[in-house]
Amino acid sequence: MTVRVSLSEAPPAGRLAALMAWLGNPRVYTSLAALSLILVIPIVVDSPFIVHVFVTICVFAGLSTAWNIVGGYAGQLSLGHMVFYGIGAYTTALLIQHFGLTPWLGMWVGAAVSVAVSVFIGYPCFRLRGPFFALATIAFLEVVRLLAIHFHGFTGGSAGLIVPLKLGWAWMIFQDKINYLYIAFGLLLATLAVSYAIRTSRLGYCLTAVREREDAASAAGISNTDVKLKAVMISAGLTSLFGSFHAMYLTFLEPETMFSLANSVSIAMFALIGGLGTVAGPLLGTVLVVPIAELARGWLGASANGLHGFVYGVVLVLITLTLPGGLAGTFGPRVTALIDRLPGRRVAPDREAPALRHIEGTPGEPVLETRDLVMKFGGLTATDHVSITLRRGEILGVIGPNGAGKTTLFNQISGFLKPTSGTVVIYDAEGRPVTPARADEYARLGVGRTFQIVQPFGKLTVIENIMIGAFMRHTSVDDARAAALRIARLVGLLHVKDVEARNLPIGDLKRLEVARTLATEPSILLLDEVMAGQNQTDTQKMVELIRTIRDTGVTVIAIEHNMQAIMSLSDRIVVIDSGKVIAQGDPREVVRNRRVIEAYLGEDFVDAQGL
Amino acid sequence: MDVLVQLILNGIMLGSMYAIISVGLTLIFGIVRVVNFAHGEFLMVGMYAVYLLSLHLGLHPYVSAVPMVLMLFAVGALVQRFIIQPLLGADEHIQIFATVGLSTALINLALLVFGADLYSVQAPGVRQPLSIGGYTVLHAQVVMLASALVLVAGLHLFMQRTPLGRAIRATAQNRNAAQLMGVRVDRIYVIAFGLGAACVGLASALISPLFPVTPTIGTYFVLTAFVVVVLGGMRSMYGAFLGAMIIGIVDSLSGYYIAPDLKEVVYFAIFILILIFKPTGLFGFGRGTE
Amino acid sequence: MKVLIKAALAAGLALSAAPSFAQDAVRIGALYPFSGGLALLGDESFRGLELAIEERNAAGGLNGRKIEMVRGDAVDPNQAVGEARRLTSVDKVSVIFGTYSSSLSLAATQVAELAGVPYFELGAISDPITERGFKNVYRTNPTARIFANRMVDAVAEAVAPALGTDAKSLKVAIIHEDSLYGQTVAGYQQARAKEVGLNLVETLPYSAKSVDLTPVILRLKSAGADVVLQTSYQNDTVLFFRQMKEQGFKPKAVMGAGGGYSLRDTMQAVGPENMEGALNVDFTQYRTNPKAAPGIEEFVKKYEAKYGTAPRSGHSLANYMGAKVLLDAMAAAKDLTAPAIREAVMAVDVTEGTTATGWGAKFNEAGQNERATPFLMQWQGGELVTVFPADAAVAEIKTGIGAE
Repeated sequence: MTVRVSLSEAPPAGRLAALMAWLGNPRVYTSLAALSLILVIPIVVDSPFIVHVFVTICVFAGLSTAWNIVGGYAGQLSLGHMVFYGIGAYTTALLIQHFGLTPWLGMWVGAAVSVAVSVFIGYPCFRLRGPFFALATIAFLEVVRLLAIHFHGFTGGSAGLIVPLKLGWAWMIFQDKINYLYIAFGLLLATLAVSYAIRTSRLGYCLTAVREREDAASAAGISNTDVKLKAVMISAGLTSLFGSFHAMYLTFLEPETMFSLANSVSIAMFALIGGLGTVAGPLLGTVLVVPIAELARGWLGASANGLHGFVYGVVLVLITLTLPGGLAGTFGPRVTALIDRLPGRRVAPDREAPALRHIEGTPGEPVLETRDLVMKFGGLTATDHVSITLRRGEILGVIGPNGAGKTTLFNQISGFLKPTSGTVVIYDAEGRPVTPARADEYARLGVGRTFQIVQPFGKLTVIENIMIGAFMRHTSVDDARAAALRIARLVGLLHVKDVEARNLPIGDLKRLEVARTLATEPSILLLDEVMAGQNQTDTQKMVELIRTIRDTGVTVIAIEHNMQAIMSLSDRIVVIDSGKVIAQGDPREVVRNRRVIEAYLGEDFVDAQGL
Repeated sequence: MDVLVQLILNGIMLGSMYAIISVGLTLIFGIVRVVNFAHGEFLMVGMYAVYLLSLHLGLHPYVSAVPMVLMLFAVGALVQRFIIQPLLGADEHIQIFATVGLSTALINLALLVFGADLYSVQAPGVRQPLSIGGYTVLHAQVVMLASALVLVAGLHLFMQRTPLGRAIRATAQNRNAAQLMGVRVDRIYVIAFGLGAACVGLASALISPLFPVTPTIGTYFVLTAFVVVVLGGMRSMYGAFLGAMIIGIVDSLSGYYIAPDLKEVVYFAIFILILIFKPTGLFGFGRGTE
Repeated sequence: MKVLIKAALAAGLALSAAPSFAQDAVRIGALYPFSGGLALLGDESFRGLELAIEERNAAGGLNGRKIEMVRGDAVDPNQAVGEARRLTSVDKVSVIFGTYSSSLSLAATQVAELAGVPYFELGAISDPITERGFKNVYRTNPTARIFANRMVDAVAEAVAPALGTDAKSLKVAIIHEDSLYGQTVAGYQQARAKEVGLNLVETLPYSAKSVDLTPVILRLKSAGADVVLQTSYQNDTVLFFRQMKEQGFKPKAVMGAGGGYSLRDTMQAVGPENMEGALNVDFTQYRTNPKAAPGIEEFVKKYEAKYGTAPRSGHSLANYMGAKVLLDAMAAAKDLTAPAIREAVMAVDVTEGTTATGWGAKFNEAGQNERATPFLMQWQGGELVTVFPADAAVAEIKTGIGAE
C-alpha cells in the first residue's frame, strides 16, 4: 500500500519540479510576464474601448501567429489566409442559425472544414513558389468570397448573416465585454503555445529545412509536401477558431469582411513587421501596429481622409527597407541576451549520443543495383544503359571525366531524377528488393547522399544542420541533438557547432554535407566529390573518416576527382564516360585500361605512349 | 449567333485593354523577377495625371499618352532604384510586401489629394460607336486594339534589334552571366521596371476616356492582369497578349452565358487550374514554379 | 523591449482614456465612414448631421446646453465595433448618430444596444437593423424594402400610365451590384414583383467593380426588357448608361434605387443628354416641390454657405431631417437616459409634408420611422426633379431614355 502511494505521488512531484524548473528560466518568466500584460492592462484600465483594442490585438496577433506557421516557418506566402477565418465564422454562425448548435462546438466543426479546405488548396499549390503561391491563394480567397455572395440563399449573401443576440457563456455573447477578452486571450495563448511547440520540435526544423533548401531536405528524408501540409492544416485550423470567435464578437458576418483580402495582407504584414518565422514576431508586430492604427484613426482620420492609410503604407515600405528581419529578427538576439542575464535556471547541458550499432548483414551481398539506367535530357543521353551492383561493406569509387554523367547517376540512385528507362533496386533490411518513388523515401530506406554543390541550411547553425538529418531516425529534439553532437565530433565540426552555416569556409561546408547525411544513419552512403576544395591534411582526414564509416558496416559509393585519394580508398572502381560504364574492377587494373586512359587523356596520348 | 459575335468582338476589345496593362507587368516580372502588386496603382496615378492635363491644359487624353509614358517610366525607374533595388537580395516575401505597402500608400495618397469623388475625362469623339456589319465597337476600343498590337510589335523589335534590348534579354535569361559579360544589371533593371510602368502610362491615356478615375480604380484591373500574366506564362509578352485576349473573351462570354457576377469565378478558376496543371502558362512560354 | 512598448502603450491609452468633459455640454457621437471606399457619401451624410447640430446650437442648444460632437471613423465592421465602444465608453456620449453604411450600422448598433446607449440611424437602409428586437435603435430613413416596393409599385402607378399601357404587359428586368446594398434591394424587388404580378424577365447580379457590362446589356436586349430596375453605385451606373447607348439598347424606362443615380457626378460623367429620362427612387433630392418639403431651400442655402458647393447628394438632407427630428425628441425627453429617450422618441408624431425631406415621423416598437417614403425622381435637362407622387412633383414624368 505504501509503495503504491509513493509511486502515485512521485510523478506529480516530478512534474511539478520540471514545471518549476521551466518557470525558473528567465526567458520563460519574462515572456509570461509580458504576455500577462495583455490581460492585466484592460482589467486595470476597465474601459470597454480598451477591452476592444485588446480583443482586436488578441485576434489579429492570433491570426498572424497562425499565419506565421505557413508564411514564416514553411515560407509559403499565403495572402488568402482569411479564407479559413471566414469558413470558421460562417460555419459557426450557420450552425447556430439552423441547428441551434453552441459556438463552442461549432468552432470545432468550422476548424475541421477549414483543415479539409486547406488540404484541398495546399496540396496542388505547394509546388508553386513565392509570388505564384501568393497569387493562387488570393485567387482562392476571391473565388470563395464571390461564391459566398452568389449563393445568398445559403450564406445570407452580401446582405450578411446576423448572429442572434443570445447572451451567456453558452452562446459566447456577453454584456460584459471583459469575457470576450478572456476567450480571445485563451485562444492567443493556445496559438502561441502551438507555434512555440512547432518551432522547437522536429516539425519546426523540418519546415525550416524545406523552406531553405527543398533538395537537401529531401535528401534528409523529409517529404516536402507532407510537412508543408501539416503546417497549413494546423494553421488553417487555428485561423478558423479565431474566425469563429470573432464572428461571435462582431455578431454580423458579410463576405466582404469575412473573406477580406486587405485583412489577409494585414496579418501577413504584422508577422513581417514583428519578424517572420519567429515565435514572438507576429504578436510583437500586432501589439505595435494595431493600437497605433486605432489611435491614428482617431487623431488623423477625422482631419484628412486617407492620411492614416498613407502613413501606414509608407511605414510598411520603410520597414521592408530598413528592418527586413522585423523587430524580433533585428533586436531579438540582443533582447534575449539581456534577458539571459536575469537570475534563474538555464537550459540543461548538452548530452552526446552513444556510438551507433553496427549494421548487420553479410558482407558482399548486393545492397543496390541499377539495371540499364537511361536518362535523356532532350537530345542528350546523360546515362546510357548503366548497370552496376553495389555490395555490402565495400567502398566503390566512381570516376570519369567532367560531364560523363556521374552526378546524373547519383541523382537517379537517390531518387532525385526519374530514369527515362531502367530501374534502381534497393535491398531493404529484410533483403527484399524495392524501388522507392521519391527522394525522401530513398533517404528513409537508408540511401544517404551528399551534394556536389554544397547545400547547407545557411541560417541554421552547424549543429542544427546536422539535426535536420538526425530527425530522420529520432523524433525528439533532445535525441536528435545528442545524435548530431556525436556526428559533429566524428567529422570534426564540434568546434564550430554553434556557427551559422552560411559563415563556414568551403572545407567545413563539405564536412557538414557529410555530417548531415551521416546523421540520417544511412546503410548506403553516396558521396559526391566530398574532397574537392580540401587541403592535403583535410583530404587525409576525410579518407580516414570514410574508412571509419565503412567499418561500422556502411556501404560507400563515392564520386571523386582526387585520383590518389580515390585509388587508395576504393575496393572497386567504376569508370563512366559519355554516360556509359567503360570499365570496372580492381583499382590497379582499371588505371591500366586503355579505354580509361583514352577517356581521360585522349587517343593521341594513348597512341604516343604506345599503350 | 449575332450575340455571340458581338460578345467575342467585345471580348477582344476588353482583351486589348488587359493586354497593354499585362505586358507591362510581364516585363517587370520577366526581367526583374518581382511581382509588382502596385501595378494597378501606377495606372491610377496615370489616370489622375491624364485628368489633370485635360482639365488644366485641355489636352486630349490621346495627346497625353506621350507625357504619360515618360512620366510613368520615371515613376517606375524611381521605384526600382529606391525601393526594389535595395531589396533584390532579400527574401521574396519582403519584395512582395514592399510593393503591397507602396500600393496602400498610393491609394490613400490619392484619397488624400483627390477625395473619393469620381473624375471623368472629356474626350470628344472617342466614345462614338462604330458599326461594322451590324456589330458595335467604339473608336476608343479600336485605338486600344491597334495600340496593343503596335506596343507588342514595338517591344519585340526593341528587344530583338537594339543593343539595349539584347542586354535586357540577356539579363532576363541569366543575370550572373550577363553581369560577367559586362552588362550593368542594376541599370537594366531600372530600365526594365521603367518600361513596364511606361506601358501602364500608355494604358492610362487610353483607358481614361472609358472609365472615370477613383483612388481604387487600379484594383479593378490588377487581379485580372495577374491572371493574364500567369496564363501567358509569366515571362512572355506574346503570351501575355494572347492571355489577355482569352481572358477578355472569357469575361465577355461567361458574363452572358453563365452569370455576370460569376465571371470572376470563371477566370479565377482558370487561373488556379493553369497554375496547378500547366505552370508554364497556356502556351508553354515560361516557367511557373521558378 | 516588449515590456517597455506595452508599458508605454498602456500609459498612452490611459491618458487618451481620461475623459475631458466640457462643462454642461451634451456629447453625441457621429459614427460614419470618413475614410476608405465609402468616404464620399459617409462624409456627405455627416454634413447633414453637422448642419442640424449647428442650427440647434445657434438656437440655444439642447434646453440651454451646447451639443458637442465626437467623430468616429469606421471602414469595416470591426472598426465600427471599436469606434462604437470608444464613443460609448471613453467619450461617454449620450447618443450616437450614424452611419450611412448598413454593415457598419449592423455592427455598431449591436454595441450600442448592449451598452444601453441610444443609436439614431439616419441613412442605412438594411431592414434587419430595426428588426432584431433592439430597444435603443431608431431609424428615421426608409428601408430597403420600402425602396424596393416603391420602385416596383412605381412601374404600375407611374411608368405604365405614362406609357399608356397596362403594367402587366411590360417586361421588367432587375439588375444590381452584388454587395449588401444591391443584393438586399433586389431581393425585396423580386418578392414585390411576384406579389403584384409583374412580368419579371431577368434578374442579373454583377460586381460593382466590373469594367464591362456589355454582357449584362446584351442579356437585357435578348430578353427584350422594357423596364430596367437597377440598384447600383456610381461607377457601374456610369458604365451601364454608356454601354447601353453604345449597344443601342433603348428600354422604355430605367429606374435606379438611389446610389449612383442620385449623384450629379454620375450625370456629368454620363452626359445630361444620355441620362435624360432616367428614373430614380431615393431619399428626397433638392428639386422637390418646397410645398411638400418645407425647409429644403433653406437647407441648400446653409449647406452652400458652409461648404462652398451645392450638396453632392440627398444623403445630407436625409441626415439633416432625421437629426432634427431626433434632437427635438432629445429636447423633449426628461433626461438623457435611454428609457427617457425611448419614451420621447415613441411620442414623436410629425405629419408628412412638414419636414425638409417631406417625410413624416412616427416610430413603431422596433424603432423604425413608418412615415418615411422615398419619392420618384427623374433626370430632366441635367436636373434630378421629383415627378411622383403628384403633390411633391415639380415636373411631369417623361418616357424613354436619352434625349431625342
